[in-house]
Amino acid sequence: MALPSFSAIGIAGTGLTVYRKWLDAVSDNIANINNASPTSASAFQARYIQAQSVTDSQTGDGAGVQVARAVLSGNATGRVVYEPANPLADAQGNVRYPDIDLGSQMVQMMMAQRGYQANLAVVDRAKESYEAALQLGRNT
Amino acid sequence: MSIPAIGAVSSITGPATVSGSSAVGGTGGSGFANALAGGLEQLQGTQTKADDLAVKASTGNLTDIHDYMIASTEASLTTQLTVAVRNKALDAFNEIMRLQA
Repeated sequence: MALPSFSAIGIAGTGLTVYRKWLDAVSDNIANINNASPTSASAFQARYIQAQSVTDSQTGDGAGVQVARAVLSGNATGRVVYEPANPLADAQGNVRYPDIDLGSQMVQMMMAQRGYQANLAVVDRAKESYEAALQLGRNT
Repeated sequence: MSIPAIGAVSSITGPATVSGSSAVGGTGGSGFANALAGGLEQLQGTQTKADDLAVKASTGNLTDIHDYMIASTEASLTTQLTVAVRNKALDAFNEIMRLQA
């Protein structure tokens, strides 16, 4: 006999992992948003994750979501800023800054946070439902 | 007026075999015992997983907090399910023992 595996909880868990990685990526982008680099090198590029749905190969049912790969987005040129006082400045006094929009990162952070919370709500609700099923016929 | 003779009582057929319930597949001879043992093994598996993640959490090797919470939730639910199955079986057994008491 195989006990049921309470799959709704596990599937919500895969979603939690993906949103956690998205939060990590946004956090990394914001942490590096003011990195100056010399014009001879490339600027910091924003990192994102590519999510991909997972299908159970045996049953054909949906089995959650996974991170397919990390995507480097944005151009390596970045913003070239005239800052002669910067120790990294070239002969023309220019340095590179990453071309990352803080507003966009904050919005993505909110989306990742809300997605994480939504998956947590699914875990909670699924647990409540399974526990209610286990109470079936208990108080007769 | 002729009275027709009463026909002989036809032999009573044995109880019809119950249709609609078939033997539990894949459990072999002593079905329920094997099923319960399998369930207990699975319960052991979920609890081992939760324990491993708890050790990881306390040693600082846990990358996803929710992994542990989900594993412990699943272990708790599986325990409740196994206990419910065991209680139901025990109730049925006691009910049969009370027959003709």
